[in-house]
Amino acid sequence: MINQIIQYLFRTPASLYRSGLRLLGILLIGSVFMACTQERQPCLTPKIASLNLRFVHFAADSAIALNSFSDTGLPKAIFTAVTDSGNRSVIYTSPSAYFTISLSPVADSCKWLVLADSASLLTAASFDTMSFYYKRKLQFLSNACGYTDFYAIDSVHTTKNHVDSVIITNTSVTNDVNTKHLKIYMHPGF
Amino acid sequence: MSIQSTLRYTCILVFSFLLFGAINAKAQVAAIDTMPKVPADSAVIDTPKAPKIELGSHQLTIGIDILRPVINAYSTDKYGYEFAADYYLKNELYLAAEGGWGTSTVTYADLKYNTSNYFFRAGFNKYLFPRQDAKDWGGLFMGLRLATAGIDRSAATYTVIDSLWGNNTGSLAGKSFNAYWMELTAGVRVELYKGLMAGWNIRGKFLLNGKSFNDLSPLYVAGYGRGDKTSAFDFNFYLSYAVRWKRHKWHNGLMAQLPYQTPVVGL
Repeated sequence: MINQIIQYLFRTPASLYRSGLRLLGILLIGSVFMACTQERQPCLTPKIASLNLRFVHFAADSAIALNSFSDTGLPKAIFTAVTDSGNRSVIYTSPSAYFTISLSPVADSCKWLVLADSASLLTAASFDTMSFYYKRKLQFLSNACGYTDFYAIDSVHTTKNHVDSVIITNTSVTNDVNTKHLKIYMHPGF
Repeated sequence: MSIQSTLRYTCILVFSFLLFGAINAKAQVAAIDTMPKVPADSAVIDTPKAPKIELGSHQLTIGIDILRPVINAYSTDKYGYEFAADYYLKNELYLAAEGGWGTSTVTYADLKYNTSNYFFRAGFNKYLFPRQDAKDWGGLFMGLRLATAGIDRSAATYTVIDSLWGNNTGSLAGKSFNAYWMELTAGVRVELYKGLMAGWNIRGKFLLNGKSFNDLSPLYVAGYGRGDKTSAFDFNFYLSYAVRWKRHKWHNGLMAQLPYQTPVVGL
């Protein structure tokens, strides 16, 4: 059947020409449309590398039980970025053990202040200061998205008001939102 | 689904249709040719094949893609030009070569650079139906190409936009590099008037060294398309002029003098 259609469409020069012109018309319309739509393609991938945090606490308040921990839901956490233009905070209104922050693309280190529960702001609560040290790597995403910075974490220092310790589980910080980078152990009674 | 995606899949559909139809037609013709011919009296017929006569001789066709200037007129950030030539070998097989050049300009808020490139393709076209007579130079064809492009990219400036920590601006040095790709093509060409030929084709292109573009892939590579894609679809509309020489004058006369091949009946 298909070969008969092909033979019918293209066997003689006249029908070949007519059939060719019909298909060409379709292609011409498409070409003019495509030529008129030269605006930038939409960026469909995350443009900012995300540092993904997981908060946990020991099942027992003992450093021996390193493999015995569970997620710690921070009730209403506050994350404050210490930037050159001042402090800028994100306040979470529901409990969670998983958070995402970003690293500074203009320096090789940055600081975040972390408070587990914004309700304790009225009391004598104190933030923990987490300092991140890393190497930056310029990364081309696409012409639609441009450039961004990926990071390789060297170390993380923290005060120990409510944070017990920090373990780096993955040093490579990219725009992959599913990779967890830090496991942050909290004191049981924060 | 966006209209651009629809167009892309339409091109794929048309290409697949032509490919499948042509292969199917060829297969059926071959099947008919090999079918034994049994006469009414059940005698075995030995039908000697007439020697295949090569129609015409040499043809060199040189053409220009007249669609490119149209697209250039509508585009503000790129342009390209393309030329093509092919030479008839025999048995509906043509050597084909194409070349051209183009530029593109990227002036986004966070990315700025220019590219320019030339390109060259070489391969062959195979016409799917035998020529009907010595003046029949048109037809439906499929082809294969290997292609290369030499690309020059200017110094690029970029800005990493970060509303929290602040923007970070930098620059990259200019760079020259090559791209290599393979193409499958199908199309139609007809002779409009004494050597003046017109035809279109569609192309599926597959980049062979896409990893070399990882640092900053060019927005547009003339002859290929978007540099940040490992495959691309394109089409051309060529207006060509054919030069023919050393055509055997005796050919048509020989055709007329060939005796009718009477089947030989054997046991």
